[in-house]
Amino acid sequence: MSRKLGALALALGILVGAMELKTLVTAHSNSVVIMANGVSPLPKLPPPQN
Amino acid sequence: MGAGVYFVSCSLIRGAFFRYFFLNLYVILSLFADLGRQGVLRFYGVDSSQYMYAYYYTDCLLTVTLFVAVTSLASRVFAELNLSRYVRFVAVLLLLGTAGFTYAVVAQSTELLATRFAVELSQNLYFVGLVLTYLLWGAVLKLQETRTRLVQMVLSLGLYFSAYAGSYALLNLAPQYEVAKYLAPLLGCFLPISWALTIMRYSEDARLTPARLVAVPR
Repeated sequence: MSRKLGALALALGILVGAMELKTLVTAHSNSVVIMANGVSPLPKLPPPQN
Repeated sequence: MGAGVYFVSCSLIRGAFFRYFFLNLYVILSLFADLGRQGVLRFYGVDSSQYMYAYYYTDCLLTVTLFVAVTSLASRVFAELNLSRYVRFVAVLLLLGTAGFTYAVVAQSTELLATRFAVELSQNLYFVGLVLTYLLWGAVLKLQETRTRLVQMVLSLGLYFSAYAGSYALLNLAPQYEVAKYLAPLLGCFLPISWALTIMRYSEDARLTPARLVAVPR
């Protein structure tokens, strides 16, 4: 049980850390997205959220 | 594309295809995604909606597969501690958590919800994969992992994620330089090439001495 709770805490920690890292990185970006797969050229971005 | 074919061929030749199944699956899907993208690109052009949809949906699929590949490596690293089950549990939680978080963020969008969701999920999973890979790097050092193939594959992943983060930073800091735009596609070849070299150079039984992993100050 404690291992499962530990796993849950670890997952939450990783998720929060990753989202904070993303916020930190993208806060100063010019809306370019990171696309980490393949060699094809980047297309235009979908229209922004309303 | 050739790099991907090289890696899958090396895996088949060395009998490591099923041992590193998710890595091979990622590379194979990457090959098909590139083929599909090139087809759409040729027919509709880079500025078309068709290419945009094809690119972002395949990218989302590839990022999820890469995440599963990272998890499979983590599962192997922790297998000796009998923690594989918990690694898979954490991975499922992370995937569901990231999907839920992404949906919460894009739910306000009234149009193109699915495309926005695909882009955001891909981005968020990229960062989760980045953090997970660095944690895996730490675990490899801490546990003094000696399986050469495993260590080199994890190191390759860490370098790959780091290089992408570097190219992203370069793209933001110096968007006027054309070279920055071509850096990311070039990096796409790095992972299959490094994995293929690892498979070809080292057998499954090859072991590293821990001293090579950690430089102990004297």
